[in-house]
Formats: sequence, structure tokens, C-alpha cells
Amino acid sequence: MSPMDWRAIVRQALGNITRDAATDEDIVEELAQHLAQLYDEALARGASPQQARERALAELHTGSALQHELQRARSSQPTVPALPALPPAPTSGKGSIMADLWQDLRYSLRLLARSPGFAAAAIVTLALGIGATTAIFSVLDAVLLRRAPLAEPERLVMVWETDRASSTIREPASYPDFLDFQQRAQQFAQIGAFVPAEVNLTPSQGDPIRLASLATTHELPAVLGIQPVVGRTFTAEEDRNGGPRVLLISERLWEREFRRSREAVGQTLRINDQPFTIIGVMPNEADFGVMQVLTLAAYSRGFADRDRASRVDIWAPLQASVQSLPRSTHPIFVIGRLKPASSPALAQQEMTTIAADLERAYPDNEDRGVFIESLDDVLFKRVRPGLWLLLSAVALVLLIACVNVVNLLLARGTARLREVALRSALGANRKRLARQFAAENIVLTVGGGILGVLLALAGLRVLVALAPPEIPRLADAGLNLPLLGGAVVLSILIGFVFGMLPVLQSRRLDIQGALKAEDSRGSSAGRGSQLARSSLVVAEVALALVLVVGAGLLLRSFWTVQRVNPGFDATNVVKAEFQLPPSRYPVNFDVWPNFVEMHRFNAELRRRAESQPGVESAAIAGNHPLDAGFTNSFAIVGREAESRSYPEISVRRVTGSYFTTVRLPVRRGEVFADVEPTAPTVAVINETAARTFFDKREPIGQQIRLWGAPRTILGVVADEKIHGLTSDTPPAIYLPLQQAPSATGAEALLVRVSGSVGGFAPTLRSVVRELDPGLAVFGVEPLERTLADSVQQRRFVMMLLGLFATLAVVLAIIGIHGVLAYTVRQRQHEIGIRMALGASPQRVTRLVMTYGARLAALGIVLGIVGALLLTRFLATLLFGVTTTDVVTIIAAILLLIGAALLATYLPVRRAVRIDPMDSVREL
Amino acid sequence: MSEALSKEMKKGSLELLILALVEERERHGYEMAKLIEQRSRGAITIHAASLYPTLYRLEARGVIEGRWVERAGQRRRRYYRLTTEGRRSLAAQRDTWHAFVQGLTRVARIRPA
Repeated sequence: MSPMDWRAIVRQALGNITRDAATDEDIVEELAQHLAQLYDEALARGASPQQARERALAELHTGSALQHELQRARSSQPTVPALPALPPAPTSGKGSIMADLWQDLRYSLRLLARSPGFAAAAIVTLALGIGATTAIFSVLDAVLLRRAPLAEPERLVMVWETDRASSTIREPASYPDFLDFQQRAQQFAQIGAFVPAEVNLTPSQGDPIRLASLATTHELPAVLGIQPVVGRTFTAEEDRNGGPRVLLISERLWEREFRRSREAVGQTLRINDQPFTIIGVMPNEADFGVMQVLTLAAYSRGFADRDRASRVDIWAPLQASVQSLPRSTHPIFVIGRLKPASSPALAQQEMTTIAADLERAYPDNEDRGVFIESLDDVLFKRVRPGLWLLLSAVALVLLIACVNVVNLLLARGTARLREVALRSALGANRKRLARQFAAENIVLTVGGGILGVLLALAGLRVLVALAPPEIPRLADAGLNLPLLGGAVVLSILIGFVFGMLPVLQSRRLDIQGALKAEDSRGSSAGRGSQLARSSLVVAEVALALVLVVGAGLLLRSFWTVQRVNPGFDATNVVKAEFQLPPSRYPVNFDVWPNFVEMHRFNAELRRRAESQPGVESAAIAGNHPLDAGFTNSFAIVGREAESRSYPEISVRRVTGSYFTTVRLPVRRGEVFADVEPTAPTVAVINETAARTFFDKREPIGQQIRLWGAPRTILGVVADEKIHGLTSDTPPAIYLPLQQAPSATGAEALLVRVSGSVGGFAPTLRSVVRELDPGLAVFGVEPLERTLADSVQQRRFVMMLLGLFATLAVVLAIIGIHGVLAYTVRQRQHEIGIRMALGASPQRVTRLVMTYGARLAALGIVLGIVGALLLTRFLATLLFGVTTTDVVTIIAAILLLIGAALLATYLPVRRAVRIDPMDSVREL
Repeated sequence: MSEALSKEMKKGSLELLILALVEERERHGYEMAKLIEQRSRGAITIHAASLYPTLYRLEARGVIEGRWVERAGQRRRRYYRLTTEGRRSLAAQRDTWHAFVQGLTRVARIRPA
């Protein structure tokens, strides 16, 4: 043993090295041993104790520099980036906590402002993840996951009638059938029914409004298990033919008209010009999916045909009789509540027997059967797969967003290990550092969170506004707060855990060692996680490509649809719809078709409309050109037997001016002018009808028997897309409105103006109002708008997928960027050495870009495969393009290549700026 | 050769030297310093002031592992050995240095000894 106390000497020379006494002690001992051995060796070689001592001490010649070296080594990061000064250490005392926090936050903002790219990427990713997920999940939750607010909804079934002759399985029933079902069926606890209608409400103040209403049997509320908010539901007495005029109003109407006053019960409302007494208020949740039920029906869809999101505001007793609703008409929607022990299958069995009995008993029931379908299936079966698909896509996008954030934080964390080391060396304690990092994470996650919440709100709004009416209960969708909270907490957790890694790593040297070992200087420990990160980027690119292809196909379809010729010319045409109430415009079939009041009103309305300045022509029609209207059976005079196998024909009732107003081209013969109700009956058919029913025969001069009268065909007009732009035009017959007035009083006024249609809507509204102030005028809009709205579902799906595709592309860009940035940082040394050995910046650029390109290329290849496999699910939504449209796929690939190039820009720039000397020095 | 450059080069190569030495068997710091001096025939001498920070840095990176060993009749000493990571790192550094030296040789026309 050396007589000298080398430990003391070393300790004195170094002072405190780390903040850990035990570690310091080890360092001191090791160095002391080294010096002692040198000393002993020197003595052994014959040096004097003084010389030996000097020899040994020379090893420490750098004194304080050595201390610094040791500190750096122990906390293990070399090179020091320039950093803004850390705010002063916290002062003790409670009052300063907020001040400290404020200071930390401000410092974090400054620091993040120095890497705006990172901050923006992290915040945007978090926001997209939180926002998109929450918005879409809120919709899914409202539509799919939240049970209908009905008592034991699983026991509710629709009782549809089927028709073997037309192979339809979802038809409304006749009223007598409904009564027979009620009487004979044993599997049901109760059966109720409803008929949809639109009514005019004349409020105490303001203009009449058009409302969706249900005429229901008195059992329906009980069948559904709905309790009124105030008041009561109908009694059996009130549901009798000729019963009192009573109704229930919706909570929404209650709010609007009565400000939720209980006094509303007992007051009267003017509906279709008749006073009705309010007996109760139906809760908002009472909407059991009326729109979805109606949309599925083969006909009698009521307000659902209007193709707008409607909610029922008026519930009135049906008050039907077998006289007013005979067995031959089928307007009744039947809903049953099964007995607890029953099942849809048992009910089906029983109802099939009953239907067979009815078929034998009544000629009107020929070919009719019953189809029992659970209400749940009616409401959700068709939308469920699509929504689940959407949900999976959302989950995937959220996952990718999280992974992206983790990647970003990891890349930054690696870079910041140096900063942590430096700060430790400068005397910041770990707590202090942790606080600072926490503050940064708060800035990032709170920023991302706030933006995410805003995105979620906006996204939900867009979704609800764009959604087609067939998606049930969407109108009720509100932001799902627990979910939103969950997403925010999740993102904060992710940010926190991965953001704190540098601090944790500086504590746990083994982790740090492992992380450092990812250094590409020959180690492959990091290859596992590198592979994982790369695979995720590949997956991101693939997903983005699939979505972009999907969105592209829909976009092309939409483009094609927009250019479909609707047959009529909607430009410069304004439309207004109204319904003449039978109270003032009697529908008396004894004088059919001479409904004097109606014809007088129509003639006067046309005259007034045409006298407006700028009006070229005005027409009145039973249905506007995009309203499918109704169909009827018919016979061609002289070919009656043959006619029995013909499909029904769409009946269009129009004034003679209709053809010029909507510029419907006349193909052959001529169209009718204004005719008298009692004049010889005439008609015009469309090209499809001419082709279908007359083939090579000459239709002009032939007669079609419809509603008891033979109608002579005057001419053939072009096909109008009355079933929408993407559907084939059905065979149609045009009858003069004067010879075929509307039995419901529903009409549309169409006006062609010479100037702009924009300001004409109010004029049109007031023209109708002046003539009859009691009419509710609705749907007043340019016909082009109607045309645009008719493709709203298409637009909705397109927008949705478009949003998703955009999201996916942005995430892919961030993902590629994150992984490349990380890789460049890891390979900094290698790149530096390559540059020291003469690699040009171009070569380094190529190196980084090749790596990025490899990931992107793999992703694109997988994406093409995915797109080819998955776009077939879009087939029903496509129009005019195939699922494998080459142009779309190539465009999508180019877009993603562009995105990938964009993503490599920053990492490449960083790589070529690496200082080769740093790398050599650090070897 | 200027002293500054000599210092830079030494510093740059020290990691490689250490890794190469502990590749053979585990060694303590003093032994490493001696071996470097001997095997380089005195061309490279390493001071404790550079040696130990480098050892700690390598240890922190997980490429070498140090532990205190007590042998009968000897003082407690800290021995370092190469980890699996270190083996990979050493191989890579050898490649890099090989390329570097070759480059240097070609450019600066240094004759190999």
C-alpha cells in the first residue's frame, strides 16, 4: 500500500462530481488506485517519492477540466447545444408555485417555438387524433351504440306486408289487415300502427309552417313504450272515426310554440286549417326511427320521400275506418311488441298462417304475405356494417396518430438527452428537469387537446349537416364528452410518458445505454424498434393510399353524376311547394276531375306568377321534376291482356306550361296545352314508356286507360331523371293537371325567370301567400339547389372519405418525417463520417431519400393491393367509374409520392448540415 | 504534428482502443493505460484524465460493463468487459476506421507501417 492517501488527493482535486455520493466514491477510488499504482511503479523504477508523486499527479493535470469530463461522462452526453437559460430554481413557499409554473410554461413555449416543426407536427397529430376520433365516434355512438329510448326495444318488430306479384317484401298494410292482425295474432303483446303525413301548422304569429306528422292508432305509444312528457296519449275513444280533434306535439314544437309551458295542454293548434286540442307532449326521444322505417317501404313513404332529415312534430289519432281505408289501399305501417316468451321467428310463423287465411278470404289480398322484421334490423341493419367499417378506420387512424406522436417524442427525446446531461452538469436537479419537461408536455398536449376539441366540434357539425336523412338519430348526436375526455387524457398520458423519457433515461443508465446502443454505429439493438417504426410508416402510407383511392373514386363518381343530363333544365327555375287543404279546396270525387276551387286557384296562381317581372313562364305540377311521385297500374287500349304484365307507370300531373318551363324536349308529336277538365282526355309519355310499352309501334294516337278514362297519347318527351341522377328513368305518363288534379292537394309551382334566381324565392313565396295567406309554402328554392341536394348522400360519403383520406395523408407525412428524422439523428455519425470521407451533399440526400422512398414504395405497393381488395365495397356508391379505375389509382400514387417527398425534406436538410468533424470527434 | 491535432486524434481513437483491449478479456483501467502505451510502442499514451471519462461514457452507453472484483491477496479493483452491444459497436467502429484509414492513406499517401 502506498503511504500516501491518494483518495484524499483525488477527492480534493475533483470536488463533487455527480450528485450521488456513492458514485463519487467509486470514481474517487478507481482514480486513486490508478495514481497509487503509477506512484508505486515510479518508486520501483527508482524515482524519488517526490518525483513519483509528481508523475502520478500529472495524470490529473487538467484538474477542474477532468471534473467536468467526468460529470459529462457520468451523465453521458457530449456536445452541447446552445440553450435558453433555464429559469431560476424554484423558490420555496406556496405562493410561488403558480409563478414557477407560469415561468416553466413560458420557457416551454420559447423552447417549442425554436422547433416549430416538431411542435406543429405533435399538436396537429394530437388534434387530428382527438378531433376526428371523437367526432366520428360521437356519431357512431348516437346512431349505433346508444339503445333506442324505447322500453325493451328488442321485442319490437315491424309487420310488413309482402307482395309476391311485385316481389316486394316491405309494404305497408291495409287498415282492415291491421285490424285482423290485431284480432288474431297471439304472439304479440300489442300491435299498433301509424300513417305518415305532412301537415300545415298555422301558428298564432308568423307564417304557416310545414310539419311532419304521424297519424297513429291509440296503441302505438304503448307499443313503443313512450310516455308523454306532460299530458296523456290518445284513448281508444279518441281514435274512433269521427273522433275529436286532439293531438300530441313534440317536445321541440312545445319548446318553440309554448316555451315548455304546462299550459300548452288544452290549448288549440290550427292544423290544416282545423283547430286541434293539445292533449300532451311527446319526448324528443320518441323518434323511434320513423325516417328509417319509411325509407325502407316500397311506397307510402310520406315525408321520407322528401329526402330531408325530418322529425315528427305532430302525433294525431288515426281515426280510420274500413270505409275510409279499404283493404285495397296500403298506407298503414304496423309495429308490434312481441310477448316476452315469443320471438320474431314464432311471430313470422303465426303471421304467415294469418296472411294465408286473409289471402283466401279476400280477393284484394291476392299474393300478399307478411314479413316480420325486428325494428333493430330495420333501423340499423343496412348502416351498421358501414359504420363499423368507419369505426375501425377511426381506431386505426387514432392508433397511427398515437404512434406518430410517440415517434416524434422519441426522436426529440434522443436529441434532448444531451440537453438533460448538460442541465444536470450545470446543476439542475432531476426534479427541476422533470418539471420543465412536464411543462413542455402540458403545452403540447393541451395545445393538441384544445385544437382537437375544436376539431371535434366542427367535425360533428359538418357530419350532422352533411348526413343524409336515412342515418337514424344522427340529428340527436352530441359530442360524446366522456369519450372526448378519454381521448384527451390518453393523449396527455402518451405525451407525458414518452415526453419524459429523456429525464427517465438520465436516471436509469441501463435504459440509456440501451437507447444509445440504437446508435447506428454498428449496433442492431434498435433494429427491432426501428423495424416496428418503419412498418408503421409503411402501414400509414398503405392506409393513406387506400383511402385516397377510395375518396378519388367517389370524387370521380360525383364529378360524373354532376354531369349527368337530368333531362330537364334546372337553371333559372325556382320551385315552391304547398298543399291545398281540403277544407277550402274540396276533394269531391263525385265531380272528379273537376275540382273547381283547386283549378281556379291553380289558374290564378299561374297568372299571378307569370305577371311578375322577369318571369318567362310558370307551371304547376303535382310533383317537381326530382320528386319520384307515385306510380299506377294502367292498360293500353286494345292490348289489355298484355298490359297486365307491365310494371306500373309513373304518373306526372302538370299544366301545359310545364314542358316549356323546365325545357323538357319534345321528341315526337306534341305536348298538351291547357285543357278543360271535361275536354277529351289526353296524355304525353316519356321515351322510356314509348320504348317499353310500344317498342317499334307508333305510340302517338294510341290510348292509355288510367283511372277509368282512356287518354290519347299526343306526343313523346325526353326522359326526366325523376328517381335521381344516378337512377334510370322509369316509364312515365304526363297528364294535364286539369284532368288529373291532386287528391291530396299537394302541388309544386315552377317558375322560369330570365334573370338571377337568387332573389326570386321571396317573390315566389309572397305570390302564393297573397293568393292564400293560410297556405304553408315550403321547399322554396332554385331547382338547381334541389338537384344538388338530391346527391347529398353521395356528397356526404365523399366528404367523409375525403376527410379521412386527407387525415391519413397528413398522418403519413408526419409519420415518414418522424421516422426519417429519427433515423438521421441516429445515423448522424455515420453520415458525418461519410461526408468526412468525401460524400457530397447530393449523396447524403440520396441516402436519406432512398430510405424514405423504400418505406413509401412498400407502403404504396401494399396500398394498391389494399385498394384493389377494398374499393369493391364502394361499388354501390360509384357511378361511371370502375372500382379499379387506373386514372384514380395513378393519381393517388402520385399524390402519395408527393407527400413522401414533402416528408423527407426536413430530415434531408438536417442530414446535409451535419458537421463531419463532430462525428469524427465523437467516434 | 501539432499537439491539438494529436489530442483530437487520440480522443477520437480512444474508444476503439479501449473496446479492442477489453474484447480479449476483462481489464482494469490502469492495465488498459499500460497496454496502450506498450502495444503502441509509446506512440500513444493515455492519461487517467482522458481514460476514465471515456470508460464511464462507454459504460453509460452500455458497450462496456464495469464491476468491482476482489481477488485473494489483491486490492478491490474495477474491471471492465465488453458487452454484446460493445461487440457490435467494436465491429462497426473497426469497419469505419478501416474505411477512414484507407481513405486517409489514399488521400494523404500515408504508408502503412
